[in-house]
Amino acid sequence: MGPRVFVTGVGLVSAIGNGTEETLDSFRLLKPGIGKLSLFDSVHSGIPVAEVKLHNAELAQLAGIDIQSNPHSRNTLLALVAASQVFSTSGWTNASGERTGAIMATTVGGMDLNEQHYKSLLESDQHKHLIDLFDSADCAEKVAAHMGIRHHVTTISTACSSSANAIMLGARLIKNGRLRRVLVGGSDALTKFTLNGFFSLEILSATGCRPFDKDRNGLTIGEGAAVLVLESEETACEKNIICEVTGYANVNEAFHATSSSVEGTGAIMAMSRALETASLKPDDISYINAHGTGTKINDLSEGRAIDAVFGSQIPPVSSTKAFTGHTLGAAGAIEAVFSCLALKQGLVLPALNFTNPMPELSFQPQKAMESRSLKHVMSNSFGFGGSNTTLIFSKV
Amino acid sequence: MPAFIKSSCVISPQHTHHAEGFPAEMKEVVANRLSCEEPDYKSLINPLQLRRMPRILKMGLAASQLCINRAGGVSPDGIVVGTGLGCLDNLEKFLLEVLDNNEHVTSVLPFINSTHNAVAAQIAMLLKNHNYNVTYCHRAFSFESALLDALMLLQEKQAHHVLVGGIDECTSDFVHLHSYLGQWKEPLSNFQLLSGKSPGTIAGEGSAFFMISDEVSGGGNDVNIAGIHTFLTSAPADMTDVVRESDLFLEQYGLRKQDMDTVLLGLNGDSRNDGLYHQLMEHYFDSNAQFLYYKHLCGEYYTSSAFALWLASAIMQSRSIPDVVSFNSRSSQSPENLLIYNLHHNTEHSLILLRYGRL
Repeated sequence: MGPRVFVTGVGLVSAIGNGTEETLDSFRLLKPGIGKLSLFDSVHSGIPVAEVKLHNAELAQLAGIDIQSNPHSRNTLLALVAASQVFSTSGWTNASGERTGAIMATTVGGMDLNEQHYKSLLESDQHKHLIDLFDSADCAEKVAAHMGIRHHVTTISTACSSSANAIMLGARLIKNGRLRRVLVGGSDALTKFTLNGFFSLEILSATGCRPFDKDRNGLTIGEGAAVLVLESEETACEKNIICEVTGYANVNEAFHATSSSVEGTGAIMAMSRALETASLKPDDISYINAHGTGTKINDLSEGRAIDAVFGSQIPPVSSTKAFTGHTLGAAGAIEAVFSCLALKQGLVLPALNFTNPMPELSFQPQKAMESRSLKHVMSNSFGFGGSNTTLIFSKV
Repeated sequence: MPAFIKSSCVISPQHTHHAEGFPAEMKEVVANRLSCEEPDYKSLINPLQLRRMPRILKMGLAASQLCINRAGGVSPDGIVVGTGLGCLDNLEKFLLEVLDNNEHVTSVLPFINSTHNAVAAQIAMLLKNHNYNVTYCHRAFSFESALLDALMLLQEKQAHHVLVGGIDECTSDFVHLHSYLGQWKEPLSNFQLLSGKSPGTIAGEGSAFFMISDEVSGGGNDVNIAGIHTFLTSAPADMTDVVRESDLFLEQYGLRKQDMDTVLLGLNGDSRNDGLYHQLMEHYFDSNAQFLYYKHLCGEYYTSSAFALWLASAIMQSRSIPDVVSFNSRSSQSPENLLIYNLHHNTEHSLILLRYGRL
């Protein structure tokens, strides 16, 4: 049904590096990006976070923006840094043509600026020029302008599955023949708002997240951005092809506002339906990049779902969130880029901080980086509101 | 692939939620902010849940429930919502709690309810609906993006019925902050919104849900959402850009500008933004076309084109145009091809093409 959809470019920035080279080095060296909070003062400064190790001024410089005269939220800067990378990696040209779009995703948009200025704005108009930058659409519009895109620009916000849904929408727009090329991705900056939100939900790890470990104690919040260039087979240039988007599914667990069911009903449906759209069987999957946040409930729910879907033939599984933290609206895109890199380089990405297996599950996460030829990689992204999305990327 | 409007429900500043057609009369108020006429939620939402439920969720759950009822209780194969501001009231509440109480948060509920996809997720939970569920938050493209997604679900044969919503709630802080940017006029009669030449408009809000279906109703008076197009221009928008985009868009459906017998425009009284609509009426669209406007009834908000879609669909189904929305006196009482055009802040443009009958 419809043309094949290829990934022809990627860009990312996260706590483990700017660009694919730095990212792969961090995986090879098993070097996580989790550390002490430095971006803002907080009573929760003792809780580890995964910050991008670049100040706003450095991000602006990388994106070629003068933030003194033209202020940007950190959220938008992160996305611009990631997007700028595809100029060199995908042969992206600004002559976008009529059938090029941009779909970005975020959970809180320009909240980093919003929370700094909200109180003073209630009193005076001194910072009124920043108001429009708080909006969730600001990032996509600036990225679109940066990349020369004017059509089909939009923003998805489905909590922690946001950017996986942006990728799915991009693939569908190409399959439907509406677009030939689309930049898809997501970004979220670390904010006091989200840090406090997850803190009050009592799901932040005091030590750094330990996905799929029996003694896991919560998630570690991170930040970052990633983009992918998706192109129709009709126009994609062969030398740029990294892999193919073959499967996707979006389902709603319809169970609870912030929690997943212990049986993993939503995750089972998402993975099974993604396999169906890709016309693949479970044993075709060579590696699963799990959502794996490190919370008690997610890893139990997702782990049981993996057991249910894959049965006795479970491929290597890892959650890369012990490296990057949970980057919320950016997580789906960042992990999609990891999945593409894994396919391209023939690497199973490692988990970190794993000691004791979960007694409820039949499998353990992949501990070491491993070179092996991969055919199909599955990436899971689950979010508040029961939003469950699974993507499958395949070697071309 | 046709996409018919099977049913709708609109909670708006007008008395629109009782039935799908026009209310007996439209409300005139003197204000610079229009607030919704809300239904009695007790008959629609479980009272136990209702007590702690944020207003935007009430508006979303009630409108979606009524829309589903009017569609004969069909279970949607997808739920797609557009919201420019999301659950802003709860976001503000949680933000102030973090900022005012030195991060000692007393209730996590506003954080949970601040998530942009809360409305779509709550609808799914209430219906125990496991199907496709996505929320778009992109200013004046939010509803258009949701509608396009629904059309694609039908085209992909992934769905027969898709519940599509456009919902935004106005908050005092939003009005206050945006007053710094000259967004609002001094209080005036909403019916006089287009009479002056001053900057600013009138704030609004609404919750509009539609059941979009690939099945014809059988009644013969079907409204088909033929297509949607969104594009960005640098500000101020140039008419030649809009003309080019509109021509190309209509061409996809074998139509030309003169085929548009009715045009529903997002005129909002803001002298900084309305000029382009006037240029298009004078120099682009057919001089015999019926021009309509709607923002004096619902106010300006990011998903006001959902209100416009309801209005356009009510006009096409009833084969009548209320005087209160007519911009010019020419009156083609039987629209066949209706175009909704909205311009936001001189940069975000959207076109929605509706066709009457089974075209």
